[in-house]
Amino acid sequence: MISFFFIHLSGDPVLLMLPGDASDQEIEELREQLGFNDPLYVQYVRFASKAIRGDFGESLYYHVPVMELVIERLPASLELAVAAMVFALVLAVPIGIISAVRRGSILDMGSMLGALLGLSMPHFWLGIMLMLLFSVHLGWLPTSGRGTMAHLIMPAVSLGLSLMAMFARLTRSVMLEVLSLDYIRTARAKGLREEVVVGKHALKNALIPLVTVAGMQFGFLIGGTVIIETVFAWPGLGRLVIQAIFSRDYPLVQAIVFVLSLLFVGMNLLVDILYVYLDPQISYSEEK
Amino acid sequence: MKKTYLLILAAMMLICLFASPGAARDADTLIVVQESEPVGLDLMRSSLQNTMSVCYNIHDTLFFPQQDASIKPALAEKWEKLDDMTWKITLRNGVTFHNGEPLNAKAVKFSFDRVFDPEIKCPHKGKLSAFKGIKVLDELSFEIKTAKPFAPGLYMLAIYLPIVPPDYIKKVGNTKYNTDPVGCGPYKLAKWVRGESVILERYENYYGPKPYYRKVVFKTVPEATSRVAALVTGEADVVSGIAVHQRKNILESGKAYLTSQMGVMPYLGINTYEPPFDDVRVRQAVNYAINRELINKALFNGKAILCNGPISPRTFGHAPDLKPYPFDPAKAKALLKEAGYPNGIEVRLAYPTYMSQIQEQVEAIAANLAEAGIKAKLEPFERAVMWQRYKGKKHQLYVYWWDDAPEPDRYMYSLFNSKSRDYYYKNETIDVLLDLGRTIIDRTERAKVYNEIDRILYEDSPWAFLYVIPEVFGVSNKVFYEGDRDGFLNMRWAKPKN
Repeated sequence: MISFFFIHLSGDPVLLMLPGDASDQEIEELREQLGFNDPLYVQYVRFASKAIRGDFGESLYYHVPVMELVIERLPASLELAVAAMVFALVLAVPIGIISAVRRGSILDMGSMLGALLGLSMPHFWLGIMLMLLFSVHLGWLPTSGRGTMAHLIMPAVSLGLSLMAMFARLTRSVMLEVLSLDYIRTARAKGLREEVVVGKHALKNALIPLVTVAGMQFGFLIGGTVIIETVFAWPGLGRLVIQAIFSRDYPLVQAIVFVLSLLFVGMNLLVDILYVYLDPQISYSEEK
Repeated sequence: MKKTYLLILAAMMLICLFASPGAARDADTLIVVQESEPVGLDLMRSSLQNTMSVCYNIHDTLFFPQQDASIKPALAEKWEKLDDMTWKITLRNGVTFHNGEPLNAKAVKFSFDRVFDPEIKCPHKGKLSAFKGIKVLDELSFEIKTAKPFAPGLYMLAIYLPIVPPDYIKKVGNTKYNTDPVGCGPYKLAKWVRGESVILERYENYYGPKPYYRKVVFKTVPEATSRVAALVTGEADVVSGIAVHQRKNILESGKAYLTSQMGVMPYLGINTYEPPFDDVRVRQAVNYAINRELINKALFNGKAILCNGPISPRTFGHAPDLKPYPFDPAKAKALLKEAGYPNGIEVRLAYPTYMSQIQEQVEAIAANLAEAGIKAKLEPFERAVMWQRYKGKKHQLYVYWWDDAPEPDRYMYSLFNSKSRDYYYKNETIDVLLDLGRTIIDRTERAKVYNEIDRILYEDSPWAFLYVIPEVFGVSNKVFYEGDRDGFLNMRWAKPKN
């Protein structure tokens, strides 16, 4: 509802749909035809009553049902988000653990400095730099587009680097906390190997906050990849939503907002379910 | 644990090593990269440049528009003027659409009527509204009538009336036609993956000269730096939307060159209804204050053409004896003083942020104006807001542009006839002359009318006249492509350089 009113208040799509020399009469005709002359609440009721039945209408520019467009773009967005997340987690967890275990060492300081850099580097700049290096100078990777694994590498790395930095710092701080707990001392006292203490006993507990943050970030990743999708011409939802907003394609914006909210809520639900698996103390059953 | 991670890392590095930058492609495939993707492939349903560019490869019209606003035969083989309001047009024999459907006079009538079908919401119907209708005479010939004599009529048909297949559209419907069109142009649609690419294949039964490239792939890369990267790495052959600061990089790469056929004509519009610009002296002061020569040298390497009136110096009908307003800040100040503003004025200057090369231009213009005592506050607006404020008469000074069209009526009527718009300027003499200009069929007589319009507006200064900028395409050194003045990427004209 909020997005409906905001987008409708932000400008008139009819002026953008017609060429610059369209007459006032042509503009008025099209506006009437599309129902934009009705009061906003009438337009909202019309939109909402259809949306409940799953009909979000037709794109003003593409002239096809908007859900068809959104569903077409969703796999590309998910693919990029998953790749960025995998890249971030695969590197961040070991870096975080090593930094925690070797606290204060050069390795620790080096990786945390790297993490700080990764966090502060703008996606846009990083993407362009990677492209200049790996595509223009070295010729190893394609500059943009989607299709092969090669196309995925640079967008995933540009998108995942700041996440990786965030996860590495988080893993380190949580691991430090967990490693100082009593049960770790007990585990060590039992004579378990350090790898087992860290990798099994400590890590599993440290994972809970990491999963929470990763889950929330995944929701952002799907909708928030606008810049990277633009730089690398990745055909995902981020690019589509920007295009839709700039051209005031109301129905398309509505459908994307709806799908992204659904995904966001879905991810949070998944995280909650994962807690049970990671920490048996958390239970959603009635019995305590 | 460590081993698992090492394995994953090693696998990622291997992928990196074996990943090839784009699949190898045939020598007869051409890759074209644009800023935004087509929203549909039915030429009748969109007025967006990038969409129309793809469509013109699939659809043909009755005539080929020429650089001097004349026409050459395309689907129409011959035509004759029956009177000032009626043309008899005969089509080529044996032309077929991509699905084998024959081209005939009925198809032309169907196409014309379809432009005015409310379901299509055709954005070009205003351009064809001077026509009353089509009468089919026989299989290949028809009569087309206008309500009044309309000189640019055939030229408008050449641009805005794609001929579409009636049987196919009746069968599949308009929505499907927009995604899966059939035309009678040199290329047919092979595949459209929305968001990624449009793949076109040469239509082997095309009636005209066969295009060289068997396959043309239109791709979309929204970011300008990425488009240039695609061009210099050889992933793209023709790239549109090149920013000023990137031109040097392209030329220095040694991999590509720049075209300069197409032009855009930015102008500084003035709200003549409100003070201080209701005084012609203040408007002229703005014209004297701008150093067009310097902006041209600094921003466009001297490649822009300075305007000496509202009609582009490359367009039929412009007055060649007019000289561009010279840069003369002293004269500008004197005019302001004469108009009662000895201490200068403060104004607002709106500009659209999405216009190419705009930021550098408005900063230069504002600096020039300041020198003459006109302090301009810059107001950048995003597309929808800029347009809404424009129509709402909210601007004081504003930068907009028009394409450097060969036919003067195409933009002069829209911009200066108060029947079309009178947001910031109205002049009854100009209205009369513009109405007259479109009705005179004789070219020499017609040119005189537009010369007169050009002179009156030069004096009255409803705009500060700027320049025509070459809007460049980047083209790979392997390909020969000059580009068209209308800026549409018609790939039938591309061929290998050697």
